[in-house]
Amino acid sequence: MMSTYNMVKQEFIKKWITTLHMLDCSVEHPLNVTERKNAIKLSSDIAMAAARSGSTVWSRALISRSGNKTANKPVARRILKKARNRLKNRCLTLRRNGNFTAKSGVRKRTELLKSLVPGGELIKNKDYLIRETLDYIVYLRAQVDVMRTVAAVDSVTGNLTNDNK
Amino acid sequence: MSNRRSRQSSRASRISDDQMIDLVGKLRQFLPEIRERRRSEKVSASKVLQETCNYIRNLHREVDNLSDRLSQLLDSVDEDSPEAAVIRSLLM
Repeated sequence: MMSTYNMVKQEFIKKWITTLHMLDCSVEHPLNVTERKNAIKLSSDIAMAAARSGSTVWSRALISRSGNKTANKPVARRILKKARNRLKNRCLTLRRNGNFTAKSGVRKRTELLKSLVPGGELIKNKDYLIRETLDYIVYLRAQVDVMRTVAAVDSVTGNLTNDNK
Repeated sequence: MSNRRSRQSSRASRISDDQMIDLVGKLRQFLPEIRERRRSEKVSASKVLQETCNYIRNLHREVDNLSDRLSQLLDSVDEDSPEAAVIRSLLM
């Protein structure tokens, strides 16, 4: 189980490097802190979805959602176009149930879960939803672990430069 | 959230016991609270769903915070500093 998880993290790192470069080339420098934060988050989300090779709803929904945010960036738009079109047709045929009321704890929480998993609102089958959720959680964890490691670079090198002063 | 209410709701809105046991088994490694319930037979579907939702929300929040930290980190980094060199080597 652990080696699979490491493979997930490695795949995420590879894709993140690509998406970071991709966005870096397509934005106008210099960026302010907020713009940079959004670019980091966006590249990270796209990388997470791209690392998931296979046809999960959450990964395609995430790419579709991210595609809207990169509307002004032609490079990103081109790369995401294919994935977005794949999901577009599904969105047109599935609609929210307008009569939904939260009658029980399970129902209410299931709806909440659907709102948290990308594309979750499109999934009607409970079993399918659970499988998508578990898959999504693994990749979400990998994303957090890798970003945490990179962010920790600051504290490591910070100590080094302090010693040299 | 009472069990009575869950039983009265229609079959279609309940996650089956098998599905729930399967979910709990797989989530065990990620959710420490559930790990302790291993021996009990009845696991509230509502509780597991709530904890799963909380877990995902926390992860989302972490990604957001980490994106913040990383953007500030890159902002304060000098071109020639050792931090820049490390980050550059990580990302290149």
